[in-house]
Amino acid sequence: MDDLIVLKNLRKIYKMGDEKIVALDDINLNIGKEEFLCLLGTSGSGKSTLLNMMAGLEKPTRGEIIVNKLHLERMNEKDLTNYRQRYIGFVFQSYNLISTLSALENVSLGLIFKGIPKSKREKMAKTMLINVGLGNRLHHKPSEMSGGQQQRVSIARAFVGDPSIVFADEPTGNLDTKTTFEIMNLITSMAKESNQTLIIVTHDTEISVYANRIVYMRDGNIEKIVANEKAEGEVV
Amino acid sequence: MSNIDLVRMGIKNLWRRKLRTFLTVLGVMIGTSSIVVMLSLGFGLSESFTEQISQWGSLTTINVYKRWQDPSMPKQKESKLDETAVLAFKAIPNVEAVSPTLETYGTIKTGRYVANVPIKGIVPEAMEAFGFEVQEGRLLNDNDELTILFGGGMSNNFYDPKSRVWREPKIDLMKDRFTFTFDQDMGYNYGGGMGNEKPNYKEYKIKVAGVLTEGNWETNYGVYMPLREVQKLMVEKAKAEDPKSRPSKETEYEQINVKVNDMKNVQAVQDAIKDLGHEAYSLNDQLESMKKTAGTIQMVLGGIGAVSLIVAAIGITNTMVMSIYERTKEIGVMKVIGASIKDIKRLFLLESTMIGIIGGVFGVALSYILSFFVNKFSGVFGDFLGTGGESKISIIPIWLIFAATAFSALIGILSGYFPAKRAMNLSALEAIRTE
Repeated sequence: MDDLIVLKNLRKIYKMGDEKIVALDDINLNIGKEEFLCLLGTSGSGKSTLLNMMAGLEKPTRGEIIVNKLHLERMNEKDLTNYRQRYIGFVFQSYNLISTLSALENVSLGLIFKGIPKSKREKMAKTMLINVGLGNRLHHKPSEMSGGQQQRVSIARAFVGDPSIVFADEPTGNLDTKTTFEIMNLITSMAKESNQTLIIVTHDTEISVYANRIVYMRDGNIEKIVANEKAEGEVV
Repeated sequence: MSNIDLVRMGIKNLWRRKLRTFLTVLGVMIGTSSIVVMLSLGFGLSESFTEQISQWGSLTTINVYKRWQDPSMPKQKESKLDETAVLAFKAIPNVEAVSPTLETYGTIKTGRYVANVPIKGIVPEAMEAFGFEVQEGRLLNDNDELTILFGGGMSNNFYDPKSRVWREPKIDLMKDRFTFTFDQDMGYNYGGGMGNEKPNYKEYKIKVAGVLTEGNWETNYGVYMPLREVQKLMVEKAKAEDPKSRPSKETEYEQINVKVNDMKNVQAVQDAIKDLGHEAYSLNDQLESMKKTAGTIQMVLGGIGAVSLIVAAIGITNTMVMSIYERTKEIGVMKVIGASIKDIKRLFLLESTMIGIIGGVFGVALSYILSFFVNKFSGVFGDFLGTGGESKISIIPIWLIFAATAFSALIGILSGYFPAKRAMNLSALEAIRTE
């Protein structure tokens, strides 16, 4: 199986005043195409830092991040922007929708930066919102929607550009159990449908059961990697 | 990110904070209009100076006189105003017409009215070029003999010597018969002077070609005749005063007038004439110095106006910085979902530029309104300031409108630059984490 993402000897140190905090110690990990990977760990384990690095939002102190044969650690800001536009979608814990824009506008925002013309991107955004079950909420503002609905908009935004990889940072952290399952089912089925790689960060073991592989993290290192054979299909 | 999306997004962002945008725009508006109105006062001043001076005579005419020969500087070129000089002047670039002039004094009589007038000789074909216009009749031509052209204000120059009070003379300049003589006393009866023998001046019947339009002070109170005729009359005058006198072979003129095609070329032509060794004057000399004064006043006024635009520029920067604080999270999200730092920079620069342009456009509109009111009441002020009621106090040239709008747009760009840079450099991760 081809490896889409290769991490080699990845290390990240934060400086807080005089103190050095090792967020990632020495990470080596290969992630395949169309894989659903879960980074599981307590807070401070370095899982979010790892995710941000793969999304090109943070630079490593040392080591290599190779995505589709591109070395992220060597890229400048402009190349990283291109990389984000072409390869990745991002789902946040706190949704991060722009409060002044409607659901439709939020979803099409990323397409604006790609330079897709208005009529086309609105069509794409509308299709995507219908796919996530918000066909009747197109023109609602985030404040007029529930948390679950907002996260659906956020998912639509992440998937609308048909990225190769979708990153989700605690996507269900703010949601109740019932909605959590709805969202997880949605996100996994969508990723599978379009053969996308999905990487989710969570501390919730219930969510990790959706994944093909679960990477347990502790203190900036990979503790163990567990393959999950039964992950296929939806959990009810 | 396409330009149309950029503009759309920029407008949306400005519209989102209507009141703040409006107040910032208002600041730019006041700044722009204060500069424009201040500058317009300067232009008005300069214009009214020009108008005042043009009442004294034509601004494109240079009067050339003979230069006084300084005995201590024998190497000076000799200044001789003859036909050679006329030809030399005609050869100078931008010279439209050259006319030597001779002037003599005499008396014109009709019925019981007389007028003592300067008789000015002029080359008939140059008259049109020198801007002479008739209100009645025609201009002079080469075949005219003893034919005159009255200045526009001449009818009031006639008076009845026997009357004690001046009444408006009842004269038709075109139809009445006129005679001319060099005798300045005609009409008065001194009855043989104090033993002085009076020269026996001839009396000439003269024809009237026309009457000039009332123009400037130079032409209003004179009588024009073809140069050749004046020369003839002067010879006869000299003979009457001293029968033994011989007219000199070479004619020298008292003055040569040179007409230049455009005001901006007057200085150059004037310098060229001076280089030929003559004395040359034009109203341009006065105009230049007055315009310099007007320019200085304008600079001071514009500087005062500029202060308010600087304040407005700080207002724009402030608005944009505030906006970045509020939108930090939004900027972070945009970066994560694929906005390039260039897009972010362009967006913020565009917003500040739009504030500048909108403020500029409305500022120009406001200055027109202010200018209108200033001019409306300028009758009152104008008399008070002595600028005369004719010209406007505030003049806004077309180019100033575009310059002002462009300048306020530039102010917008400059004031947005620092905030845009700030937005660009925000770390996406940190921006997202701010609440």
